[in-house]
Amino acid sequence: MVLEVQSLDIVSVNFWSILISLINLLIIFLIIKKFLFAPIKKVFAVRKAEVDKVYDDANLAKDEAEAQKSLYEEKMAGAKDEASQILSNARERADRMSDEIIADANVKAEARYKKAEEEIAQEKKKAMSELKDDISTISLDIAEKIVEREINENDHEKLINEFIEEVGESND
Amino acid sequence: MTKKKFDLYDVMCMRLMILPFIAAMVLKILYTPASEGIQISGALVYWTIDMPLQPLYISEAQVNSVAVVLFVLGLALFLTHGLTVKPESKRQIIAEMIVEKVEGLVDENMGERFHEYGPLIAAVLAISGVSSLSSLLGLFPPTADVNIIAGWSIMVFALITYYKFKGGALNYVKGYFEPIPVFAPLNVISEFATPVSMTFRHFGNVLSGVVISVLLSTALGGLSNLIFGWIPVVGSFPILRIGIPAIFSLYFDIFSGLIQAFIFAMLTMLNISNGFPEEAYALRMQKRAIRAQKKKEREELAAKIQ
Repeated sequence: MVLEVQSLDIVSVNFWSILISLINLLIIFLIIKKFLFAPIKKVFAVRKAEVDKVYDDANLAKDEAEAQKSLYEEKMAGAKDEASQILSNARERADRMSDEIIADANVKAEARYKKAEEEIAQEKKKAMSELKDDISTISLDIAEKIVEREINENDHEKLINEFIEEVGESND
Repeated sequence: MTKKKFDLYDVMCMRLMILPFIAAMVLKILYTPASEGIQISGALVYWTIDMPLQPLYISEAQVNSVAVVLFVLGLALFLTHGLTVKPESKRQIIAEMIVEKVEGLVDENMGERFHEYGPLIAAVLAISGVSSLSSLLGLFPPTADVNIIAGWSIMVFALITYYKFKGGALNYVKGYFEPIPVFAPLNVISEFATPVSMTFRHFGNVLSGVVISVLLSTALGGLSNLIFGWIPVVGSFPILRIGIPAIFSLYFDIFSGLIQAFIFAMLTMLNISNGFPEEAYALRMQKRAIRAQKKKEREELAAKIQ
């Protein structure tokens, strides 16, 4: 096949070529706008709406959770107050009880102490009287020995006892 | 996660992407004249239509531009097929990444006001990038034709001027006489220099790549003839042309082409947003609002009197 071929100069200005090229650019612009940017933007819009929805839901859930949290905190604070109330009540009662017990113990101890003192005093008296008897007997024996004669026990016992009593009184 | 199957729709998209380029290649092979030696010329002309002003050439550049448009259409349809809210396919992730990156670029360089410019910038990047990359298929890259880029630049220029006019026509005219009226001719030149420089920067870079590729392959052919020419049968075959031009093509076709696409998009963004007189526009809007309010008040007053 032989064709007559002609070629343009390297730089040749042609009005129609310029116009066609301009129209080509416009066509490509429209193609890209309609078939590339428009669908993709639509997808973006849908995606953005979905993401917004997710965020809204999340915010809602967060608000709810926060409300619940504050409710719980309130409850917890109430429980704490109650617990401290109970604790202080218990402590008070315990204090009172311990005071009572101590007072009771004190009373009992005092009573016991008094009883013991009384017993001691009684014992002392008994011991004293025994001692008095012993001393009177011994002094009679001593006097017998000293006098070396029989002294009527009955006559003098009274006298000696008086004497010893005097001594004991002064000793007391 | 079930893997998405490649259905008929995807196959059709792929066809839409690939077939135009194959057709362009076939057309080029049919029309390329058998020639000897180096030849650096513009696009081949397949068909000429008589039109007023100038004849309309259906050249390689035009055919390839149409192929690029169809490729981008197919790619866009392919990437956005079967979109789901939760990205499941790789292509959706790629498509989303493209959209996000381009919008990020636009927001960063132009500001929030020009947020709607994403598709235009993506279009500029796509048409320029794919056009330059089409040279990898052995096609004439449309970006090596000055008319193609001039068309895009004129589009950008129209947008720049439109935004400058938003500050008021008087402000626009006044802009040419600043800082002093003597500067008016220079200002006019600099205004028109913007699209011209954008055109020639892109065109020159791509064309230089094409020219250097042709020179390089010719030189390698000669060198190969010089070194291996004495071998009886193999010597007539340019061995050095295998492989070495591909390395240079990596730079001239891929890197340079993509960088130029990026630069063109950047310049588009910066020129449009820099040309926009923000303060004058705000002042004008304020005045307009005041005027509208006054008009409303007057109407109310008139209604009351009646």
